Amino acid sequence: MIEIKKLNKYYGDHHVLKDIDLSVDKGEVVVIIGPSGSGKSTLCRTVNRLETIDSGEILIEGEPLPEDGKDLAAIRSKIGMVFQSFNLFAHKTILENVTLAPVEVLHKSHAEAKEEAMRLLKRVGVDSQADKYPIQLSGGQQQRVAIARSLAMNPKVMLFDEPTSALDPEMINEVLDVMTELADDGMTMMIVTHEMNFAKQVSDRVVFMDDGRILEINTPEKFFSEPGTDRARDFLESIKN
Amino acid sequence: MNAGHVSIKDVLYEEPGPKLKKRIKAVTAMSTVLIILLFALMVHRFYITGQLDGKYWFFFGRLSTWRFLFRGLIGTVEVALTSGVLAFILGFILMTGRISGKKAAVKICTALIEFTRGVPTLLFVYFFFLVAPQFGLKLASFWKITLPVALSACGVVAEVLRSGVNAVPKGQREAALSLGMVERKVFLKIVFPQAFRYVIPALLSELVIVVKDTTFAYVVNFPDLMQNASVLISNYDAMLSVYLLAAVIYIIINYLLNKAAAYYAGHRKERSLL
Repeated sequence: MIEIKKLNKYYGDHHVLKDIDLSVDKGEVVVIIGPSGSGKSTLCRTVNRLETIDSGEILIEGEPLPEDGKDLAAIRSKIGMVFQSFNLFAHKTILENVTLAPVEVLHKSHAEAKEEAMRLLKRVGVDSQADKYPIQLSGGQQQRVAIARSLAMNPKVMLFDEPTSALDPEMINEVLDVMTELADDGMTMMIVTHEMNFAKQVSDRVVFMDDGRILEINTPEKFFSEPGTDRARDFLESIKN
Repeated sequence: MNAGHVSIKDVLYEEPGPKLKKRIKAVTAMSTVLIILLFALMVHRFYITGQLDGKYWFFFGRLSTWRFLFRGLIGTVEVALTSGVLAFILGFILMTGRISGKKAAVKICTALIEFTRGVPTLLFVYFFFLVAPQFGLKLASFWKITLPVALSACGVVAEVLRSGVNAVPKGQREAALSLGMVERKVFLKIVFPQAFRYVIPALLSELVIVVKDTTFAYVVNFPDLMQNASVLISNYDAMLSVYLLAAVIYIIINYLLNKAAAYYAGHRKERSLL
């Protein structure tokens, strides 16, 4: 589904992604973990080209990711993205947030988009808030709406960029529950997260990054019990308490 | 209502304590007395110089006087609104050019913005009144005042709109892009509507300046409030009373505009729309 080959990215002189090779198969859930500043969010954002790359290749379903224009927009519409800061459209109601892209991009009718949106909002448990504005919802509710908004485009793969990092502790689980359901339904997912228990439960593979490099790709069982690198072991040790 | 909203006032000023409250009260009382004294002094001077004489005021009892002034007021409002709309359209075009990222467009629009912001309105008025006709551009007096006022406002409008666009969090744009919207749609559907809401108070303030600039209508002989006031003055030889009344009317218009801006800003915060 996603293939990343020899990807390199610089911010000026700073080499943020170094020779990244990674692929995500259809239906697979890949979790990327690592210390902050390791480049995991940047990597996630290169997949739908919110970050440009300096060398290497990104293939989506075997096709190279377009660099701009309508082709890029078309690919993006098939890649859902959930952000750390939710990024719901502040001037639109919850319902409008979910119906906007299906109407504007997929040219669905308002009625059809609304019906689908209500179904999705119900699925993530915020259908009763449909007519409110984002700021009137809790962070956990906003993030669940953001997931529904992505799902409304019927994406083939979903990217999660630290989806629970901006949430109060008591709201983290309500978002993780929705994500777990998605994973169980067979959605292809690439998740950057600090939630180790969640990673253990849902992931098919764990990717460990440090200093712009992938140091280890492993099954969750192996990674969390006997990590293959010292750096990963130190990292897991440091976040235990 | 929402803890996340902190006004500038909360950031810059501490809640006054008992001592400061006393001092504020004292200063307020003193300045009130001073203002009343000044006002009394002014009325006294009017009395001494004979400005309160009935011959300067009697015509305000005539309906025709008010009708004439009202026609002027309508002229002012027409010019101000048309200029305002034109300035908004021109400002929007200049702003999109300036943020387009295309080198030539950025340079041209930045130059035009700086030019229109830098040139005094009166110079634009003279251009359309004196220079343009020499090149065969003959306009009605309405456009001779409306176009220069709009031109001199459009650069400021462009910059106000741009500040609004810059204030929209970049996550809004990223979210829209990630849903597959093309840049133009992202701007028109997501970024600009929010930017516009941010800058409505600033735009209304600019409209106050537009209203004041319309008084240059006397240069081109367009019958606005100021021009009609001048006619009354020459008819009745009553400069002070008429100008005083005209000033009051302008103050009311602009006060209402400023109030609308403040109300909108407060209203938005209350409804937590943004």
